[in-house]
Amino acid sequence: MIRNKVLGAAIIVFVVVATVLIIYGLGLVQGGSVESLNKMVHLRGSGATFLQPQLEAWVQEFMKEYGNIVIEYQGVGSGAGQEQFFKGLTDFCGSDPPLSHEKWLEYKGKVLQLPVILGAVVIVYNVPEIPKSVHLNLSGEVLALIYKGEIEYWDDPRIKELNPGLADKLPHEEIIVVHRSDASGTTQIFTTFLHKAAPEIWPIELVGKTIDWPVDKVGRGVGGKGNPGVTANVINTKYSIGYVELAYALKNNLTIAAIRNREGVFVLPSTETIQSAAKHALKTKLIPISPDGDFCKELDAIVYAPGKNSYPLTAFSHIFVWKTYEDKAKAEALKRFIEWIYTKGSKYIIEGYVAVPEEIKSIGLKAVELIEG
Amino acid sequence: MKRLDRRIIMDRFFKYLVIVISLIALMPLFYIITSILVHGGSTVLKAGISFLYEPPPSPLSTNVGGIGPSLLGTILLMTITIIIGLPLAFFTAVLAVEYPNSIIAKFVGILTRSFIEIPTILIGVLVYTIMVLPMGRFSAIAGAIALALVSLPYMYTHIENALASIPWIYREAAYGLGLTKPKALFHIFMGIARRGIVAGILIGLAKASGETAPLLFTIGGSRHSYFQGLDKPIDAIPLLIYEFAQTPYNIYHEVAWGAALILLLIYLGVFATLRLLVKKVEL
Repeated sequence: MIRNKVLGAAIIVFVVVATVLIIYGLGLVQGGSVESLNKMVHLRGSGATFLQPQLEAWVQEFMKEYGNIVIEYQGVGSGAGQEQFFKGLTDFCGSDPPLSHEKWLEYKGKVLQLPVILGAVVIVYNVPEIPKSVHLNLSGEVLALIYKGEIEYWDDPRIKELNPGLADKLPHEEIIVVHRSDASGTTQIFTTFLHKAAPEIWPIELVGKTIDWPVDKVGRGVGGKGNPGVTANVINTKYSIGYVELAYALKNNLTIAAIRNREGVFVLPSTETIQSAAKHALKTKLIPISPDGDFCKELDAIVYAPGKNSYPLTAFSHIFVWKTYEDKAKAEALKRFIEWIYTKGSKYIIEGYVAVPEEIKSIGLKAVELIEG
Repeated sequence: MKRLDRRIIMDRFFKYLVIVISLIALMPLFYIITSILVHGGSTVLKAGISFLYEPPPSPLSTNVGGIGPSLLGTILLMTITIIIGLPLAFFTAVLAVEYPNSIIAKFVGILTRSFIEIPTILIGVLVYTIMVLPMGRFSAIAGAIALALVSLPYMYTHIENALASIPWIYREAAYGLGLTKPKALFHIFMGIARRGIVAGILIGLAKASGETAPLLFTIGGSRHSYFQGLDKPIDAIPLLIYEFAQTPYNIYHEVAWGAALILLLIYLGVFATLRLLVKKVEL
């Protein structure tokens, strides 16, 4: 009998402690005023993990100005984010790629796509012989040959040709080629670039989110899960090369290669070179001038974009919103947030992301007029 | 004399071998706990007590902030998971032990155990399909149900073993006194099996506090508001660690380490309390 009571007491103690903490938490959020909670507007989004840190930075600044709007964003991946958005679980969606042509036709006139931020894929390498002050020059052809497994050693004449200054420093070591092992938009951008820059070497069949890497078949390919996995592999493996999002390269002090763009200039990723790619992509007319247009050709336009100063491995990341919301308050809150992103948002860009140029901002701002509630 | 020496030496050798191998086996655990204490400790010390109730920081901020909404969510999820899962596990176990020959008991037993084999992400997807989509939103209750399904087979196995290991003489004595089955169960068997039942609760709590996959598609996450209702989205510590550890930003890594420490402390706290309250059974 007594033993049972002890067990019962243990459970009661646990429940009581939990309840107290819940009430304590409730008190914290409401601060005692119930009516302020009623006026609160909750917006929920999910999608691209790439967007998560930047959106979080924006949301926190935005919420300082608009105290009655709470925005939550969960980084679940672009694919899952789109599914949750179209199933009605979320109010907006974050997605690296724009909608496919078929999806866009299905939701034509109902969904708006907003390019909110620019990102870049960078080529990183771990070759101790190359001084940190020098950046290795690489071209689409050479990268395609490396990822095909046809260029085997760092001192290959085709690499030397691009780097005359480093010719005597490049070691006769096998290149360890790191790629993503999971499905990834980063891989899509990278392979799109390889195909556009060297279509004979890198066929269209090798473009996509998951690739059957030719270099794996010669035994020099290494997979890494996510950007952190590829980053760790490059750091820990001498004579390796890999591709990651810019932020991971910067935060981990990886050495970044300069990439030859469409005009034949070797460029490093920077705010100017990334924005230049976006500006020149607009000039190709492949990107619509209104958020209700079809953005499916956008990656084609921005990767390997024209322009002497354009970084070739650049891409947009997007927010998708509905044109019409049943809830007026939600529509209004989203309008304010979108407006804020395109006007004040560029003041709060975190390392590794680049604000969209003015030309793109004017496209995005049209959404503020288009959204109805 | 010589033979004896050899036997003593062999005995000593074997003893030390066992100790060394056990230490090697425990090393990863020590490593994990130490790194959580070191990294997490420095974060929590830097942030202070506000780490427990502040919302997480922006990647731009220098202030560590806290894990308030996630901590609250995890405690809430642990509670509801046990409220849903424990009665299910307990009565399934009772059914299996007390009525071992009934078809339904066998069926339920096999079904429950086979849940262990299902990857937890699939349980998350299942709850997403049958609950989150029809409801039209993520919710704390959907997360708790997913966690209860994940922890059910573990709790069931522990409780069933505990009940089954009660010596027959005690059973016979109980029935010999003329006690009915429920009375014998609640007054005698539960007392004897209480350690096993507690072990079941503990593993249930451990699953509820530590699992990430079942929560990915069920609770939705909520980092800027604490609690809006059981049918509304909520956050959890494992989800926060999962998301923050993947980003390249130091401030997020610090928060993730701190969150791991808090998670460890919660579990150790619950573990110690329950173990202390429930004394060992001496038969």
